[in-house]
Amino acid sequence: MVIILKRLIYIICCLIIIPTILAACSKDFMVTEIDEINLIRVMGIDYGEEEYTVSALFTTLEGEEEITKGKGKSPYAAYEDLRLKAKKAISIGHTGYFLIGEAAASRGIDICLDFLSRDETVKMDGLFYITKNSKAADFMEEAIENEQKINEGMEVLRQKQETMLTRNDNTLVNLINEIRQTYQSVLIPYVIAEEKSFLMSGYAVFDDLKLRDYLDEETSAGVNFFKNIIRNYPIFLEDNVGLLITFSETDINSNWESDKIKINIKIDYETMIKEVNTVDNIFDIEYIESLNKKQDDYVLNLIMQAVNYSKATGLDILQIARYIENQNIREWENIKETWDTAISEIQYEFEFNSRISKSYLLGSNLQTKYPRISRLVHTI
Amino acid sequence: MDKKINSKNLLDLFSKSGDIVQRPINIGHKGVIAYLFGVDGLMNTMMLDTTILRPISTDESLKEITNDDEVIKYLLEGGAYHAFAIEVTDFELLIRYILSGMAALVFDNAQKALIFDVRTFDKRSIQEPTDEGVMKGAKDSFIEVMRTNTVLIRRRVRSEYLIVEQLNVGKHSKTDVALMYISNIANMETVNKIRDKINNINIDNISTPAFFEEYLVENKFSIFPQIMYTQRPDRVSANLTDGRIAISVDGIPFVYVLPCQLPMLMQSPEDYANHFIIGSSLRIIRYIAMILTLFLPAFYIASTTFQNQMLPAEIALSIQKAKENVPFSSGFEVMGLLIAFEILIEAGLRLPKTVGTAMSILGGLVVGQSAVEAKFISPTVVVIVALAGIAGFILPNQDLSSGIRVSRFLLAILAAVGGFFGLAAGLIILITHLCSLDNYGVAYMSPFVDVEASNHKDTLFRFPISYFKKRSKKIAPDNQTKQGS
Repeated sequence: MVIILKRLIYIICCLIIIPTILAACSKDFMVTEIDEINLIRVMGIDYGEEEYTVSALFTTLEGEEEITKGKGKSPYAAYEDLRLKAKKAISIGHTGYFLIGEAAASRGIDICLDFLSRDETVKMDGLFYITKNSKAADFMEEAIENEQKINEGMEVLRQKQETMLTRNDNTLVNLINEIRQTYQSVLIPYVIAEEKSFLMSGYAVFDDLKLRDYLDEETSAGVNFFKNIIRNYPIFLEDNVGLLITFSETDINSNWESDKIKINIKIDYETMIKEVNTVDNIFDIEYIESLNKKQDDYVLNLIMQAVNYSKATGLDILQIARYIENQNIREWENIKETWDTAISEIQYEFEFNSRISKSYLLGSNLQTKYPRISRLVHTI
Repeated sequence: MDKKINSKNLLDLFSKSGDIVQRPINIGHKGVIAYLFGVDGLMNTMMLDTTILRPISTDESLKEITNDDEVIKYLLEGGAYHAFAIEVTDFELLIRYILSGMAALVFDNAQKALIFDVRTFDKRSIQEPTDEGVMKGAKDSFIEVMRTNTVLIRRRVRSEYLIVEQLNVGKHSKTDVALMYISNIANMETVNKIRDKINNINIDNISTPAFFEEYLVENKFSIFPQIMYTQRPDRVSANLTDGRIAISVDGIPFVYVLPCQLPMLMQSPEDYANHFIIGSSLRIIRYIAMILTLFLPAFYIASTTFQNQMLPAEIALSIQKAKENVPFSSGFEVMGLLIAFEILIEAGLRLPKTVGTAMSILGGLVVGQSAVEAKFISPTVVVIVALAGIAGFILPNQDLSSGIRVSRFLLAILAAVGGFFGLAAGLIILITHLCSLDNYGVAYMSPFVDVEASNHKDTLFRFPISYFKKRSKKIAPDNQTKQGS
C-alpha cells in the first residue's frame, strides 16, 4: 500500500511539475512552424545618415536571394524595423555570415555585435567580415546585380579560409572574447567583391574597437603566423621555385630582461616543393639547404611586416598582450597603462626550424633520404 | 478437498467429462479390482496396453496375490514394464496426474493409486527460431511443450548442478512450470525469491505469456521489459552459465530468463556468432537505431516548431520547402503519421500474410504517396517516421521495441508542448525511470551503472570471448570465475 501511494505521489508530482516547468518557460518559446519563418542567411550592418541599416538576405523557396532592410538609431532598432518589414517572421538562427559595412565598423564593432551576442538563437560560429570601402548592403546588392549567389559565395570564401587556416577567428564568440581583451587589437577579415566571386585579402584592424586600417595580404599572413593558425601558405622564391607550407607551429614566450620585454617566437614549419621552373638541379643537398634558408627569409619577411606595423602604429595586432599578461604578471601590471607605447619597445627574437619535407619528384637523385632541417635565429 | 482415493470419488468427479476413460480390471481373478483412469487422447494407448495392461492380465504371479497392497508392491517392483511408476495416496495429486495425461490404476481397498507416465499428445516439431534467426549458429528453438524445452537445455548443459525444478501454476490450468538454474553458480536468494513468486501466483489459468510474466516482474507499471524471453536454447544455456535463472512454462514456446537488464535486450545471438569487431559494430548500430527510433520524431517536432536553429541551414531550407502548403503543424503531422504507422502494424498482424503484403503496399506506398501529393503531410515527415519505425524493428527484443514505441509517443508529445525543453524533461524522466528499476537485486541499467570493470566487456562493445573471465558479482556472487580456475 505504501509503495502504491509512493508511486501515486511520484506520478502526480511528475504530472504537476513538468507542465509547471514547461508553462513557466512558455514565454521564451517561439512556437513558430519552420515554414512560417524566413531564415536570414547573410546579414549586413551599415551606418549612414545617422542611422543604422540592417540588411537581411533571404533565400526564397525557389532558391532566389532577396534582400530586406530595416533602419533605426541602433543596430537592434534597425533589426526590429526589419522584423516588421519582413514578409514572415525572421530568424537569425541560420545566419552564417555577417557583413559589417566600413562606416558601421568605424563607429565601433562592439555596437554592431552587442545585440547579436545577446540573441540566444544566433549561431556562435557565424563568420564576420568587413566590407572594404563599401556598405554591406551595397556589397550584397551589387552581387545580386552581378547574378552572384551571395550565400554560396560566402560559403566558398569560408572554404578557402579553412584551406589556408586551421581555424576561423572571425566567429561571433571569438570576436566577443577579443573585444573583452582591451589591450589587443580586434582583427576581422575584410572582403572585396570581384567580378564573379568574393575575395578575402587580409585583416581589418580595429583600434579601440573602431576600424582603423586594413592590412595587406603579406602582413596578414605574418599575423597568422603569430596566431598559430597557418594550415597552408604558398611561398614563391625568387629562383622560380614555389613551395607550400603544409605544417606550421608557433610557440610564443614572453620574458622580462633588463626592464625590457623580450618576446621569443619559435616557428616550426614544413614545406613541400610545388613548382620548379629553373634549369638548376634542385635535387641537391646544398641547393635544398639554400632553399630552406630562403624560405626562412621569406617567412621572416612576412612576420617582420606584421611586427613593424605593430611597432609603428602601437597597435597590438600580434596579440602579444595576453602572453605578457599570463607569463609576466607582475611586470604587466606596471606596463599595461602605457601598453600603446611599450609595444614599440618590445624586443623580438625569432627562431625558425624549417624543412622541406616532401617534394622531390619521383626518381629524384637526392643523396639523402632524411630532410634537412634549417635553423635561423633572428633578433630585432 | 480431503477425499480418499477410490473409484467412486473419481467417477463422481469426472461423471460429466466425456474424455475421461475409466475401466475396471480384475487382477488375478482373486478379488483384486483396480480401476484404470486416464484422459482419452493424452495417453499412448499402445504403450498402456503393452507395458501395463498386458503384464497385469498375463502375469501368473499376480494370480496368487489376493491383497491390493501386495499387487501394488509387485507392480512397482517390476510387474509392470514401465519406467515411470509411482504410488500415490493423495487424491489431489492423483487428479493432477490423471489430468496431465498419465494413467492411474486405482485400488479401492488400499485407497491408493499407481501412476504410469504414458503421456502423449500432438506437438509441434522443433523448428528454426522465427524471431531470433542467425546465419551462423544453432537452428533449434523452443516449442510449446515444457519437457521438450528442458530437454533442449539439458542437452547443452550437462552439468550435474543444473537443477530443473518442476512447479505448478494455475488453479484450473495446473500448468507445468520448470525453474532451471545451475546450483553452484546462481544466486540462491534470487532462486528462492523467484520460486516463491511462482508459487504465489494464484490465478485460474495461464492463457497468455503476460498472465505469467506480470507476476514475475518487479515493477509492474514500467513499460520496459524486465524479463527476457528467448526462443533459443543456446541463449538460455549461456545465461544459465552466467548465473541467471531460466523458466519454461508449458504452452509458451519460449523460455524466460531472469534477472534481466537492458543491455541483455540489446544483444543478439548474431553478436556472438561473428568476429567480436563485427559483433560490436552490429550492437552499436542497434543502439544508434534505438536512439533514432526514440528521439527522431521528437527531435523533428522540437526543431521545426521551436528551436529551428538546431537544424543545419540547408536542412532547414529543405524542410521548409517540403512543408510548403501543408496545413498541419509538425507535431500534428508526426503524431498522425506515428498513429497511422501503428495502425498499419496492427492491421498487418491481424491479416493473413498474403493480404497483409497487399495492405502494406496500399497503406505504406499508395496512401502515403497520395497524402504527400495531396499536401496532407510533408515528405520529410514520412521519411522521419519511416526511419524511426524501421529503426525500432532492428531491436532484437520485441517487448523492448514496444516499450520504446510508447516512449516515442510520450517524447513526441513533450516535444510538441515544450520543444527541446520538453524533450530534455522527457529524457530526464526516462533515464530516471530506467535507473530506478531493480530486477531481483540487479540494477536494470547494469552494467552501464556498474563499477565492476569486468561487467563492461559485453555491453556496448563485445570484447573477445577470452576476455569474459568473470561473472557479475550481483548475478553470481558465490562463483564469479568464468574462465580459468
